[in-house]
Amino acid sequence: MQPHPTPMAQFLDEFDASLLEGSVPLRVFNDPEILDGELERIFTRAWVFIGHESEIPARGDYVQRRIGRDPFVLVRSDDGEVRVLFDACRHRGAMVCRAERGNAALFRCPYHGWTYKNTGEFAGAPFFRAAYGSELDKSEWGLYAAPHTEILHGFVFASLDPDAPTLEEYLGDMKWYLDLLWGQCKDGWEVIGDPQRFVVEADWKSGADNFCGDDYHTFYLHRSTIEIGVMDGVKRGDSTENLQGYHVQAGNGHAISHFLVPPEVPGPRFWGYPPEVAERFTPDKLGQERYELAKHSIGSVGTVFPNFSFLAFPLRHSRKEGPVSTMVIRCFQPRGPAEMEIWAWVICPKGTPEEYRRKTYRTSMGTFSAGGTFEQDDSEPWIAQARTAGTAYGRKLGMELNYKMGLKGAASATRVDDFAGPGVAFYPVLEDGVHRGFHRRWVQFMREGGYPSAMTPEQQNASAGEARSNGDG
Amino acid sequence: MSAPADSHLLTRVPSGSADYWRCVDFLVDEAAALDDNRMDDWLAMLHPEIDYRAPIRITRERAAGAGFSEEGYHFFEDLDSLSIRIDRLATDYAWAEDPPSRTRRFVTNFRVFECERAGDLRVHSNLLLYRERLDDPRPLVMSAERRDDLRDLDGGLRLLRRWVLLDHGLLNTANLAVFF
Repeated sequence: MQPHPTPMAQFLDEFDASLLEGSVPLRVFNDPEILDGELERIFTRAWVFIGHESEIPARGDYVQRRIGRDPFVLVRSDDGEVRVLFDACRHRGAMVCRAERGNAALFRCPYHGWTYKNTGEFAGAPFFRAAYGSELDKSEWGLYAAPHTEILHGFVFASLDPDAPTLEEYLGDMKWYLDLLWGQCKDGWEVIGDPQRFVVEADWKSGADNFCGDDYHTFYLHRSTIEIGVMDGVKRGDSTENLQGYHVQAGNGHAISHFLVPPEVPGPRFWGYPPEVAERFTPDKLGQERYELAKHSIGSVGTVFPNFSFLAFPLRHSRKEGPVSTMVIRCFQPRGPAEMEIWAWVICPKGTPEEYRRKTYRTSMGTFSAGGTFEQDDSEPWIAQARTAGTAYGRKLGMELNYKMGLKGAASATRVDDFAGPGVAFYPVLEDGVHRGFHRRWVQFMREGGYPSAMTPEQQNASAGEARSNGDG
Repeated sequence: MSAPADSHLLTRVPSGSADYWRCVDFLVDEAAALDDNRMDDWLAMLHPEIDYRAPIRITRERAAGAGFSEEGYHFFEDLDSLSIRIDRLATDYAWAEDPPSRTRRFVTNFRVFECERAGDLRVHSNLLLYRERLDDPRPLVMSAERRDDLRDLDGGLRLLRRWVLLDHGLLNTANLAVFF
């Protein structure tokens, strides 16, 4: 028996090497030491999703958010700027924002009354002159703000690392796909209602990894939904064979699973939106080619590393009407070892007629939410995975999980070069490359000291032996 | 449709009256059907036009009210969608409830009120839902006020409208696979 657990650096080196062979150590799904590393090395460096501009339409509007486990306030300041403020009073560190949502000109610390403008600037403190005389430079005592905040199509992202690249560089080829999804509507997108939040006793990576493109689990874990017709909008006839599903590794650990309807097949387009909503899409923003692709897109699932995910499919939560477009976004927030908090939003194109807006909300929550006919089953294996990841015997074995699907010798999917978008694409979707790429980026973040260097789609897709490609046999 | 009115705006039906006991019996029988997993019996207690909702609740400052989302709902159901959920449970793949949870619904603090439409009855009650899953000895306990409208149909009361006003912001559960 070893006297000590494997030191982290050695563990990460071994993990990186094992990924080439399609293995992921079970341990990563429940380990306090690994979680501490993630909070320090991933969540204080990566660009993470904070919220959508439509959640804070007016000046002074704010919502409470998290980066890792840390409290932040997303606020539209009085100067119109969107800011991500660290919710810790500069005086004694108490939190200054005590409600999940509201409108405030000032944030007041309840402890001694230090007060901040909604720009984060120091506004005042009780007995200021008597307490501090003229020694204190007010301009130095504002709330800390995330060093980088950027907005893409209304989606607000932040990074806590001054050395972080721009959001565009960070997203790599994934930006092309986010543009495809959210960059083509005349007036952009908006959140409906408030996010649903729920605690799952599982690791945050279980969710992020799944949304990278685990199309394999859909037909077993979610078979109940297939049997009762929820999937009728995706399943055409008796099979999914005439759905063209692609797996794309988009660089920097990001991945998307994208489904097209062949041009000759009539049926849902623009992810299932009916004409009165689809008319919100326009070729004016990104050009005719991307518009045509959106027109033939029926489904997308993806993860922006580390923990921001999305899903769009036409689904049914009614027998009286046909499939309804479902568009949800997710944050898988770490809370502790084997404990995460899932944040779930429903979005739709701005200007969606009221009746369809209600339909898409009901269908989205009816399928993809804590109570959704789809999603209520997802947490079952994730909780169990965290449990086995914490077992003594699993540790003793150094148990490795099978992420080999799509590797040479274990593959029906092949690399294709005729897919419309950038990145490394595989067809069809039964392959684990999208998951291996997520974990490869994870290792890089956990291992590298400076800001992790860019990872090309080719590097993300690395595997042992010969490269896989068309005609590679 | 907006949220059901607060009780101080309603006219009380006296406790102990015949209508009061009809409502209490209905809700207690309904809780038993759910606890016993008699889902078809439960469906039969629902009015064909049922409007079943559970608004998302968030933490707001006192001046902003109780914090129920104006547009966000954990559940926003009609008879059609509720029956889809129940059909799902009957498949061999409804993992979130197979094996089923052990549940006990404690329904208390009944207050019966008159409705706008004569003959309908409004009932406010408190619900404590005790739920155990698999071999986890820590019960999941959820608490809510329910505001229900009951209407006579074919000689018995039916649940016409239910708003589940949860006391939870961040949900303490991995799924909402049971009914309130």
